[in-house]
Amino acid sequence: MKQKWIRRIIGGLSFTSALFIFQACYGTPQDFGQDLLIEGQVKSKSTGLPINGIKVSVVDNEQYEITNEEGKFSFYSEMLEDIVLSFQDVDSISNGLYMTKDTMLNYTDSKVYVDIVLEEMK
Amino acid sequence: MISAIKRYAFRKFKESEVKLHELNYLFWECTTRCNLNCLHCGSDCAKDSAFSDMPIDDFLKAIDTIETNSQNFTVVFTGGEPLMRSDIELCGRELRKRGLKWAIVSNGHLYDEKRHISLLNSGLGALTISLDGLEYSHNWLRNNDFSFKKVIAAIELAATSNRLNFDVVTCVNQQNIDELVQIKDLLVSKNVKAWRLFTIIPIGRAVDNSLLSLSDFQFVSLMEFISEQRKQKEIDIKFSCEGFVGNYEPLVRDSYFFCRAGINIGSVLIDGAISACPNIDRDFSQGNIYTDNFFDIWQHKFQPFRNREWTKKGQCKSCKDFKDCQGNGFHNWHGDKKNVLVCHKEK
Ligand code: SF4
Ligand code: SF4
Repeated sequence: MKQKWIRRIIGGLSFTSALFIFQACYGTPQDFGQDLLIEGQVKSKSTGLPINGIKVSVVDNEQYEITNEEGKFSFYSEMLEDIVLSFQDVDSISNGLYMTKDTMLNYTDSKVYVDIVLEEMK
Repeated sequence: MISAIKRYAFRKFKESEVKLHELNYLFWECTTRCNLNCLHCGSDCAKDSAFSDMPIDDFLKAIDTIETNSQNFTVVFTGGEPLMRSDIELCGRELRKRGLKWAIVSNGHLYDEKRHISLLNSGLGALTISLDGLEYSHNWLRNNDFSFKKVIAAIELAATSNRLNFDVVTCVNQQNIDELVQIKDLLVSKNVKAWRLFTIIPIGRAVDNSLLSLSDFQFVSLMEFISEQRKQKEIDIKFSCEGFVGNYEPLVRDSYFFCRAGINIGSVLIDGAISACPNIDRDFSQGNIYTDNFFDIWQHKFQPFRNREWTKKGQCKSCKDFKDCQGNGFHNWHGDKKNVLVCHKEK
């Protein structure tokens, strides 16, 4: 611990925080970014069963994931002030046809879990 | 006077970093397969596709020996071309579950929209793509007529992400040294924020190709170019960590030269060898994940990396800058190790 304080003091004397940021010639920059782990499950309102093939996308960036057999999804996304997730049935009628739903995420942590229920189209 | 104090403080800072030797940057040479056959290949690492890819579980077992994770510990997937593996995302997710960050060095050929999204979904945080010139000179070095177009498409895609800490690296050589301004303009037009330049170590195929290495005059003009561009602030440009550059310290980087190999930088190489940067002579391996506890090796070995007095030989023996340079970047000691391969200051 003492060593870490020495490090900061001497580091500050000679330069700035640039000292603690480095990369090797053949490496990448270090990752100081923040992201959010978004996980959840999509179910049918009428049957209560999971739905696969739903496209879960972040409105405002290009990221999306398709739900699996258990209706689940899990992905990291940039931490924005407001994140709106859109749930869209993209596999046509192969397992029912569902209405698109958008939802704003509420999160205070670096991960969030959302349970979503989609209504079937009449 | 102020500069002398800064240099002194920086030496002390390096000493304290060596004592701490906190591992926070780990290369994983996850494959030696590659989809290109670059002219300089073999000069920077031991490319040998006779090795099969290391199974993820083997690597994770080594990772799980790490007892104390430093803040911002990053695993850097390197190769070969890491995107030749389809399970990179799986490994990335496993690392994130352990609270670790991860990054990729890529030649950009397989970096399409689908891969971009699946990598981001799996928690990729930093990315480096190589661009080695304008179309002709890039394709020349990459030995591939279509490489430039593919790399530019990958760069455009990567630059769209606010999440990624993304930079472009360029290997400066005789073919592209006169086009650096145009390359910079191209990168700025593609919204690239950071650009790193490096030169080639004269080993492997690079020894026989005179076009790959810069003359001393060209090297100095590269330093001039970087220091001038840093004042313009159009792009965050820097010279890579590769060597001590005398009077150009610290004009070409954010701080003075400091080779952190074995001090903060470690690696797990394709055959399980434990070392530091992949371009370092493999004789310096300190152990092997298949026979040793990775963290144990990190904590208790790596003496040649943490005490560089042994590099006081050849032209470094009586060098007045030894205290600041310490025998240059560790990757400059290959073969019989009787002398440093390159002294950047001398140029
Ligand atoms: S002679 Fe050796 S120690 Fe001196 S500047 Fe050159 S590489 Fe560094
Ligand atoms: S050995 Fe040192 S100088 Fe060379 S790439 Fe690694 S950290 Fe940089």
